[in-house]
Amino acid sequence: MTTDLGFWVLQTLNALQLSMLLFLLSVGLTVIFGLMHFVNLAHGSLYAFGAYVAATLSGTLGYWGGFLLAPLAVAVLGAGLYFSLIQSQRRAGPMAQVLVTFGLIFVAVDATRLVWGDLPIGIAIPSFLDGQIALLGVEYPIYRLFIIALGLAILALLTLVLTRTQVGAMIRAGVDNDRMAACLGINVERMFFLVFVVGCALAGLAGAVAAPVLSVTPDMGLQILIPTLIVIVIGGLGSLRGAVAGSLIFGFVQTFGAVLLPTLSSVLIYALLAAVLVTRPEGLLPAKG
Amino acid sequence: MKTNMRAALAGLATGTAMLAGMMSQAHAEDIKVGMLLPYSGVYAALGQDIDDAFALGLETFGADAGATFDIIREDDEVKPPVGLAKTKKLILQDEVDVMVGIVSSGVLGAIRDTVDGAGVPLIVANAGNDEATGEACSPYITRVSFSNHQVNTPMGQWMVGQGVKKVFTIAPDYAAGRQMIDAFTAAFTAAGGEVVGQEWPAFQKTQDFGPFLANAKASGADAVYVFFAGGEAISFVKQYDSFGLKADMPLYGSGFLTSSLYVNAEGPAAEGVITALHYVPTLDNPENAAFVAAFKEKTGRIPSEYAVHGYDAARALVEAVKSGATDRDTLAAALPKVAFTGPRGDLRIDPATNNIVQPIHVYETVAGPDGLTQKVLATLPAVADPVNGCQMPSVN
Amino acid sequence: MFTHTPLRLATLALLAAAALTYAAVAGFFGLEILAEIAILAILVIALDLVAGFGGMVSLCHGALLGVGAYAFTVAANDAGLTALPAMILAIALSTALAFVIGAVCARSTGIYFIMATLAFGQMAYSFVFQSPLYGGDDGLSGAPRPDLSALGIDLTDSRAFALYALLLVALAYAVAAATLRSGLGRSLVGLHHNEKRLRALGLTVWRAKATAFAISGALAGLAGCLAAQHTQYVSPGLLSWTVSGEALVVVILGGLGTLVGPILGAVLFVILKHEISALTPYWHAIVGLILIAVVMSRANGVFGFLETRLAARKPQPQVKEAKADA
Repeated sequence: MTTDLGFWVLQTLNALQLSMLLFLLSVGLTVIFGLMHFVNLAHGSLYAFGAYVAATLSGTLGYWGGFLLAPLAVAVLGAGLYFSLIQSQRRAGPMAQVLVTFGLIFVAVDATRLVWGDLPIGIAIPSFLDGQIALLGVEYPIYRLFIIALGLAILALLTLVLTRTQVGAMIRAGVDNDRMAACLGINVERMFFLVFVVGCALAGLAGAVAAPVLSVTPDMGLQILIPTLIVIVIGGLGSLRGAVAGSLIFGFVQTFGAVLLPTLSSVLIYALLAAVLVTRPEGLLPAKG
Repeated sequence: MKTNMRAALAGLATGTAMLAGMMSQAHAEDIKVGMLLPYSGVYAALGQDIDDAFALGLETFGADAGATFDIIREDDEVKPPVGLAKTKKLILQDEVDVMVGIVSSGVLGAIRDTVDGAGVPLIVANAGNDEATGEACSPYITRVSFSNHQVNTPMGQWMVGQGVKKVFTIAPDYAAGRQMIDAFTAAFTAAGGEVVGQEWPAFQKTQDFGPFLANAKASGADAVYVFFAGGEAISFVKQYDSFGLKADMPLYGSGFLTSSLYVNAEGPAAEGVITALHYVPTLDNPENAAFVAAFKEKTGRIPSEYAVHGYDAARALVEAVKSGATDRDTLAAALPKVAFTGPRGDLRIDPATNNIVQPIHVYETVAGPDGLTQKVLATLPAVADPVNGCQMPSVN
Repeated sequence: MFTHTPLRLATLALLAAAALTYAAVAGFFGLEILAEIAILAILVIALDLVAGFGGMVSLCHGALLGVGAYAFTVAANDAGLTALPAMILAIALSTALAFVIGAVCARSTGIYFIMATLAFGQMAYSFVFQSPLYGGDDGLSGAPRPDLSALGIDLTDSRAFALYALLLVALAYAVAAATLRSGLGRSLVGLHHNEKRLRALGLTVWRAKATAFAISGALAGLAGCLAAQHTQYVSPGLLSWTVSGEALVVVILGGLGTLVGPILGAVLFVILKHEISALTPYWHAIVGLILIAVVMSRANGVFGFLETRLAARKPQPQVKEAKADA
């Protein structure tokens, strides 16, 4: 089976699809950390919230209604969180942040159970992305290719914004040294808010695109949290390139590990993470230095 | 004067109440039921179905049982240590006469010794691990739900009869997944079929089944046989369809895959999937018609297989009480002797293992007027499970 | 530096008196709760030792507890050891594991340390969860309780077991307090405040951190043995990172870096959990809200709040001490 070229093509596409989903989630988390030094364990809950909003709206507005409005709804929620909790905890140190956002996870899980119930929800793939197309000798689901394409598009867009625009330059300056950036007359507070909200919106988008592939359950945010954290720690906190590298590594190790070394698959990724932390405690491509 | 009057009235009222209490005690036994279910955690919806249907069952059958039933509910959170602590509370502090519930096999494994040691009858209303009515069987544990072996074995022969010769299996890598697939594999190969490949994705850690589906596709099997439940079942069925496998390799499985509880979340991807289970809400018999109507009226939902476990657990308890059982020992002795015709058909308990014996229904998920529904293709006869090392000591 | 202030001593005495009185009068379920509190108390003492005094916020203490519980069960069931040698073996294993984790993570600080310990914890969790040898998701039963019949004590009795658990809490507390008063304890607190200075003074930083982590791991392993003996059943859920997260919650609720506070936190947490979960299945949300409120209040937990209040009322120079900040 492993000598068949089709196998490698299929599994590579599967790995890419997982990587891109994780990228959408981890990029927001990592840039928020790089800029604000804030650890948001509730990032996974924002993803779950996005999936629930998309699932609810797809009933009335169709898939694209959910796809567009879910990130918006999560961004609004993120803005609320920013003013109520995040802002005041920014300087409180990682321990306080871990705990406040750990508490938020508890609240979020029960809130989704109260609003949407305990039963998993499913939403259909939009009709023109349904089905498969032939690609390099294999039949592959169009919707999964759409996820890969979306991830690449967001990556291109973020790269462009960060490297070619004034806002991007400000963010890079802020990640390098936020005090210095403030001295240069950059409104750091406004930038923090902007980045946080955009990060939340991306998590919501990830939830919305994942919803038709996976089932929408109250604990989906908790399930995705650990992979997301692994991605950003392997990649190096705070860096866009790190998020890309971490997502790809996770996606490929997870996918090929699951089919080639099934007995070791779940330990494999943690072993890799431990190895990275021992040899390069700051991750593979950290934002600074 | 006024106060005196009031005091007298109050005294009269109290006296009457006491008298009534004494009279009811003289007439009816008060049976304390300890209900241990997950009311939170991943199986909360299952717990709710069982709980609602148990209450319905007591209302339906318990009126003339000559007893009142007092239910004490505890949440096991699907965590074995929590389940064990709550079991000890129910047995030692609340001093319940009988326990009902248990969704997770892990929780059942954790509380087995405590229940057995304390001599408290337990009616298992879901957990299907084979050991519970095999090598770890107990005269105090009666199962009215199913066993992993029972639900999957009949499909082996039936599929060979349908012309399916080569099968690829996929199930989560944990005890229940292994038991379900092993039972199917044994029956399928015994009937002349061949299992050409197996995948065991990590349990509760796999959301993307794409990598395994690719292997299934490459295996050249006629069909795929799987076991998944809950959220994993929804993800799996949808992803199976999205890879376009359904057309070339029909999807078969253990009936939990397309349970009525989840099937509408799976949507059109579930159409045409053929599975086997001990209950589907579309079974055509008067007992089921009455059950479905009553459950719908009470909850607004269609009863799932989990609901029927709760309903039949209540029925079994009532039947045991009607046969004269009043306390832990007599209930434990009476429960394995109950037999009745319920929504699932004719049910009895196998005295060798205290596991239920029931027919298994093969059904196809089809589109109906209000979403997806279940079309029963065949009803396979009830067969008692093998004893699996159970040496049942007798009570008393 | 860790000192026994009058308030701390008074609280300890009060807690001990309350626990002993309760153990004498409580009904069956009360005794179960007391044992549950004792297990959690040992775990949070272990965690406060490294997190509160050494700044090493660990998310793998649940895993260390779980390793202890599993090692104890396997050693007793499969190797046929009696309870005491099995306990020693189990504690040795979690100590060794903690030493390795501490040594490897010694270079990391802050969020990297948290993530690194999370990774190791999850690695142990995945290993146990996936291994059919250890019962996988279904767990293992049959962990024995120590046989103290030679002393005329029957530990299968709930009351005797609760008292035994309380004794182990006292032992764990004594070990932690002695560690903190030793040279190692001073180094640990010093490292937390100024690592460079201690490095310049010639301290082998990684060894000090790893040794402290190992002692903490030994206590977590002890908590694991007690947990296995209490329920006589172990499941992979014990190793989950949420157990570590909950332990951290308890430390914060009680008061980080006070050693006494977390014990108070364990008492409050277990009682709160049982009271609220009896009222609503959504008790997680309420615990979450309380946690957020406590952290946002900027008080150092319930005990920290008491300490600052008392210090403000009666300014006593000897009460002022190097308090590990969050």
